Formats: sequence, structure tokens, C-alpha cells
Amino acid sequence: MSENAPVISAVDLVKEFGPVRALDDLNLSIAPGEVHGFLGPNGAGKSTTMRVLLGLLRPDSGTIRLFGRDPWRDAVELHRRLAYVPGDVELWPNLTGGEAIDVFLRLRSRGTGRAFDPTRRDELIERFDLDPRKKTRTYSKGNRQKVALIAALAAEVDLLLLDEPTAGLDPLMEAVFQEVIHEAKAAGRSVLLSSHILSQVEALSDRISIIRSGNIVESGTLSELRHMTRTTIEVQTESPADELASVSFVHAFHTEGSPSTGERSVFEVDGDHVGEVMQRLAGLGVHSIVAHPPTLEQLLMRHYGDDLSARGVSTSTQKKVS
Amino acid sequence: MSTTVSTTQHTPSPAARQATLSGTGTLLRFMIRRDRIRTTAWVLGIGLMGFYFAHAVQVVAESQEELLSVSGMYADPVGRMMVGPGFGMEEPTHERFYSGGYALFIYILTALFSAFTVVRHTRSEEQTGRAELVRANVVGRHATLTAALILTVAANLVTAGLVFAGAASAEYSLTGSALVASGSLAVGLFFASAAAVSSQLSESSRGASAMAGAMLGLAYVIRMGGDMAEVGGNALSWFSPLAWAQQTAPYVEDRWWPLALPVGFAVVLTALGFWLSTKRDVAASLIPVRLGRSRARPSLGTPAGLAAHTLRGGLRGWGIALLLTALMFGAFAQTMVDAADTLPEEMGQMFAGEDMMLGYLAYMALFMAVFVGAAGVSGLQQLRGEESRGRAEYALSAPVSRLGWLGAHLGVLLAGLLLILAVVGVGMGLGAMASLEEDGGRWFGELFLAAVLQAPAVFAVVGIVTALLGWLPRLAAPVGWVLIGFAGVMASFGSLLELPEAVTELNLYGHLSEYPVEEIAWTPVLVLSGIGIAGLVLGLLGWTRREVNRV
Repeated sequence: MSENAPVISAVDLVKEFGPVRALDDLNLSIAPGEVHGFLGPNGAGKSTTMRVLLGLLRPDSGTIRLFGRDPWRDAVELHRRLAYVPGDVELWPNLTGGEAIDVFLRLRSRGTGRAFDPTRRDELIERFDLDPRKKTRTYSKGNRQKVALIAALAAEVDLLLLDEPTAGLDPLMEAVFQEVIHEAKAAGRSVLLSSHILSQVEALSDRISIIRSGNIVESGTLSELRHMTRTTIEVQTESPADELASVSFVHAFHTEGSPSTGERSVFEVDGDHVGEVMQRLAGLGVHSIVAHPPTLEQLLMRHYGDDLSARGVSTSTQKKVS
Repeated sequence: MSTTVSTTQHTPSPAARQATLSGTGTLLRFMIRRDRIRTTAWVLGIGLMGFYFAHAVQVVAESQEELLSVSGMYADPVGRMMVGPGFGMEEPTHERFYSGGYALFIYILTALFSAFTVVRHTRSEEQTGRAELVRANVVGRHATLTAALILTVAANLVTAGLVFAGAASAEYSLTGSALVASGSLAVGLFFASAAAVSSQLSESSRGASAMAGAMLGLAYVIRMGGDMAEVGGNALSWFSPLAWAQQTAPYVEDRWWPLALPVGFAVVLTALGFWLSTKRDVAASLIPVRLGRSRARPSLGTPAGLAAHTLRGGLRGWGIALLLTALMFGAFAQTMVDAADTLPEEMGQMFAGEDMMLGYLAYMALFMAVFVGAAGVSGLQQLRGEESRGRAEYALSAPVSRLGWLGAHLGVLLAGLLLILAVVGVGMGLGAMASLEEDGGRWFGELFLAAVLQAPAVFAVVGIVTALLGWLPRLAAPVGWVLIGFAGVMASFGSLLELPEAVTELNLYGHLSEYPVEEIAWTPVLVLSGIGIAGLVLGLLGWTRREVNRV
């Protein structure tokens, strides 16, 4: 395996549960040292992907490789190099949080000939503000997640598989989590981070994949994704900007305000034509200009907007596009 | 303004008092909806059991001589220790035999049902956080506990009605039958209110149930001591809620006043429960939570350690229960020797061989082994639970192979079951040694061996269920319980049912020789062990090939 061979590589994965196609030709590739954001609503196939990566489920077709090996066949060897945080952390009710963490660290260091390092564990317990002496039965969802996170982050592994790891954490812990993931990245670890929290994915991810109905519909760096979508521009010009309305790569053109207070034109431009629009605007005499890159939410809505409108929910993106 | 406040403080308006109960009706309907199957099953189950006991005693002992000899069991100190004070056993009738020998089991089940139901709707709701969701609505502080108690009391009333109908249908005296039924109601009320208190004390539902369960266990043990000492029980008996119901002496003295004790305590404990619930926050407990270790013992960090941790609790519970049962069964040895000549033919048919006592104990070894098999099925069901709750998946995300995970759990389970069988053997041996007037020690080794020799049957059950766990996991537990249930029915009534041989052959427990009455036959030992090994191998093979927790 060469240095730059992908840590995770999935090609045309298909997984069916009876009539349901949970993974539908899914392609995913994660490079060493990369934090990869994995976006999509519940039921899109994120957890199924994780479970295939862990070798708990076997794909119906397609190939999947972790560190160049088959996760179904070489599960034990591969699991020495990865740690997993399930979306719904279930712990053994009569263990304490500290015991549960140790169980995982011990299982992982077993057979490697060296004991795990308790300082890292204790430091993380401190930072995540967990009481390790309480029985896990009495923990809230957030606390159970902390246990799984600490167990995963204290381990010496190359890959972290995190399935909505902070769904139950408060904003303070969310900040700690982001800090710790930055450290993991600095240490050269790869992370597959499935999440609903867009700001988290935006802050942490090198690359992002958006999954829909078991298929990756968009994948790339955030700026690549932004490039592919529309930028919103609000501009006040000397002469009216109406002529832009008829240009093919300008959408949802409308004006706001009155001639006395100064008219503002608001419109969206396809990502790869922003430069052209700027040149045209320059000729009209710009008083002020605001350009918003698409938010991650808009990116996601672009792929899921029709789902929502089918359910009678209107989204801001939808309104602008139509 | 301030005057108004002070007056309302001193004399809260009826409306304010009601407010703590708002939503009770809605919650009650909700609880009934949630419990429609569970509670119905309990109530019908207890009712049917009462009906069965009332009618079965007439079949077991038809004539007066038979009745005299079987009632003798319950008139003895050992019999009284097991089932009750033994009122009227010197002149037994069917109804006295029914209430003296079997009513206790109705009371115990009613107590368990009542305690579990109250804990289930109060503390476990708080523990899971669902109570918070409910209490955020227009729901009064006392509404949940009130609704849970109403549900429990109502279910107990229906149960008592069924118990009464069961006894009355056997043409027993109506007063006595009403007393047995009221006894069950009173015991139910007492343990419902005890659970209302324990739910305030412990933070976990397990803790709350355990406290109520410990109270039931204590009630049983206190009653054992009191009732064993003399016929009708001594002063000690008056300290046990279970004994209070029995002290009504149905069909003998027919006295109602002892029931004032459980009912009175129920009122006091309920009030205490309500009062305590105002002294704490939602989801908090009055007994501070005990903290555990912050670091795991080294043994936990291995698949076997994890398996032992998971299965230990269940195995320990079965082990203790079966040890006590074995001691008691063993302690009947002398009674069996005495009763050997006078036993009715029906009971004689259930036991193999001429020698009543050894036959009885060989039969008991088989009977206990069925329970050990049940412990095995329940352990395997727990493994399936580990899988469906996602803990197996999480454990397997560590570098643990599937083979290692299931192998470790099976190893712990089988070792535990073998240990329980050995403990059962020791228990029966000790019980027999203690009770037999002559040569007690002579049988110890044989009784121990009798229990351990049942291991192949238990092993075969575990093997079959494991094979299913590997290939058809959904069928594993149902098939396991059918195997155990069938074995239980065959052990209890098999010889009376006169089933075709093809059907009786299916009973895994029907093949081993009845040692010590018969010689050890090695063929069934080998065949059953073969089934067990094949099942384990198949199961492990399936488990390593199938997907984990496929939804």
C-alpha cells in the first residue's frame, strides 16, 4: 500500500434490505489524514455505510477496501487500526463509564504487546467533563456518547468512524469535540464524520460527501461544492442592472427598494460565471455589493429541496430558485 | 394581594389540590393501552393458575385416604416451611388442601405483578426520561403514581375475582374462596404500595424492583421460620405480609381480621410513597447513587471478561433460586420414605422405580435440569439481546473476532450451567442428608451425580438454540422456550398424557436414564452430547457468516 492510497475506498456499493435499497451504487474515497464530512438525513444510508465499513454487513455488490483490505474478511486486523462511535451508543448498564472506556482500550491493546496509555484517557475524561464512576445505566444519551468518544479518541488508531457523534452533546462539549478532532487530524488520523450539524462539518471537514437514498450525489471540498452552486449577489448600481435578468446564468433576479432610496438588485449566479457578472456590474457603477457563497444548508437543500417541497415544506432556496 | 396568598397557603382550594392529580385519567388510559397485553397475560395467567390448582387437587387425590397421605406432606415441618402454616391439615378436604398447599403461589405471583407494574410505570419511566416528557404537559405531580396504583389495584381486583371464580367453580365454600381471593388482593395492595415507596428511594428501576423483590423474599423467609416452628405458625409468622394472607385460614377458621394488616400497611405505605415523592426532584432518588469504579479490572478487557460480566447476573439469579429449590426438594427425602407406601397411584406413575425416595429425587434432578436448560435459553436470549440492542456491534468494532465474541459467551454460559447443575446436585444431596433419619450421607454422591448426569440434555438444548442463533436468530428464543416448555410438560404430566412415542421422543430430557434408580445408559449421553456439539459448531459457523444485527 503506497503512502497516498485511500484509507477508505468504496466503489459501486449496493446493499439491499428486502425491497429497500439502502446503498445504491455508493462511491466514497477518503485519503490518509483527511477529515471527511458525511452529510444526509436519517435513512439516507450513512449508518449502513458505517456498518459495511466495519464488516458487520456484507455489500450485495461493489467493492469496499479499508487500508486496501476487505473489512468483512479482515475485520479483526482492521479494527486494530480504527475506532468507531455508534450513532446510538448502547453500553452495558452495570458497568461504570470508566469501566466501559477501559474495556475498549484494553480490547484494542490486546495482542499488541503494550498496555494502553491511561494519561490520554484521563485527559479526555477531564476535557469532556465525564464522571467515570457512574453506572452507564444512569447516563444520558450525551454522556453515553462521551464514553464512546473518549474510548475512540484515546485509542492509538489511524481511522475514526464517527456516526453522528455529537447528537446529544451540549455546545460546550461540541467545542471540545471540534478541538479534539483538529488534534486527531494534526496527528495524521483520518476521520469519517457523519453528522447533521452543518457548522460542525463546515468547521472540521477537508472534504464533504452528500448522500441521498444510498447514493453520493455530491462530493468534494467545500469550495468545490460552492463553486458548483449559485452565489447570491445583492448590489446597488448607478444605472439599473435589469439587463442581467435575461442572462442565462443569472437566476431569480429581482429588485428591492425604491428609486429615491436607491434600488438594489438581488440575484443568483451560477458558480462558474461569477467573474463574468462582476465585469458587467463594473460597467454599471457599483455603489455597494454583497455576495454570499451558498451555505452548506443551501447545498444540502439543493439536493433535498424536492423532498421537502413534496412534503409541503417551503425552503428559502426553493423560493429563490422558482 | 398578600392576604389572598396567605389564605390560599393555609387552606388550599379544592382546585389546587386537584391540580396535583390533573391528567390522572388520561395517564391511566395511556398505561392501560401500553399494558393491554402484559397485564391481561398476568391477570389471566394467575386466574388460570388458581382455577387449575383448585381443580387439580381433586384429581391428584380423589379418595380420602389419598388426600390424607398427600396432605401429610404439607402438615410436616418441611412442608409447612415450603407452603404455609398448614391449617386444618389433620382433617384435610380438597379445599383445605388447595388453600393450604397452593394459595401461597397465587399470593407470590400477585405480589410480583403488583410491584413490577408500579415500578414499570413510575421509576422506569423516570429513568428513561419519558416521565419528563409526560410531566411537561398538564399533568399533576401525583398523577403518574396515582394512575399506576389505580391500574395495579384494578388488575388485582380482576385477578381476585378470577381466583374466587376458580375456587367457587370447584364447589369450594364461598366464604373460604372469598378469603383466598381477598388474600391475594391484600397481598397485591401491600406490594404495590411497597413498590410505590421503593420507586422513590432508588434511582434505577432495577434497584426499585430489587428492593420490592427483596421485601417479598424476606416475607417468604420470615414465614418459613414461623410456619415451620408450629402448625398455624408462631409469632414470627405475624411479621410477614405473605403470612398475613395465610393466617385467614380459609376453609378452616375463615377469619377476616388478619387482612386488616396488609390493607392497613398498604394505606400507610401509599401515603408514605406520595409524601416521599414530593421530597425529591423528577428522576432523582432519595437514596444517593452509589458510585462505582472509575477504572476497569484487567479481566474485563477480554472477550471472556465481557461475556462473564454480561451473563453473570442472570446465571447467579438462576443458580441461587435453583440451589434453594434443590435444598427443599432434597429435604423432602424423609417425607418420601414415609409416604412411599401411601402415595396415590397417579403420583406413583410419575416416579420411576420401586424405591420411592430415590425415584422422587431422580425425577427432581430431571425437573431441575429442565430449569437449568431454561437458564441456558435465557442466557442465549440475552446474547440475542446484546446483538439487537447494538452492544454486540459496538463490541465487535474493537479488534474482537465474531468467533471470539460468541465463543467467549458460549464458554461462559456452558461453564455457568454446568456449575449450576453441580450446585443443584450438592443442594439435593445436602437437603436429603439433613432430612433423612438414617444413612443420609450415603446418598449424597449419587444425588450429586444424578444432577450432573443431566448435563447432556441441557447441552443439547443449548446446542440447538445456538445453531438457530447462527442461522435463524429470530427463531432461536421461541424454539428454545418451546423445547423447555415441552420438557416441563412432559416431566410433569408426560406419563398421564399417553402421547404417541414419536412425540415423546422429541423431548430432549426424556432419553437419559433415571439415575440413581436405573443404571447409567451411555448411548443417550453420547447422542445428546453429539447434538450439543453439532449445534455449537453450526451456530458458530452461521454467526461468523451472517451479518450482525441486520435490520
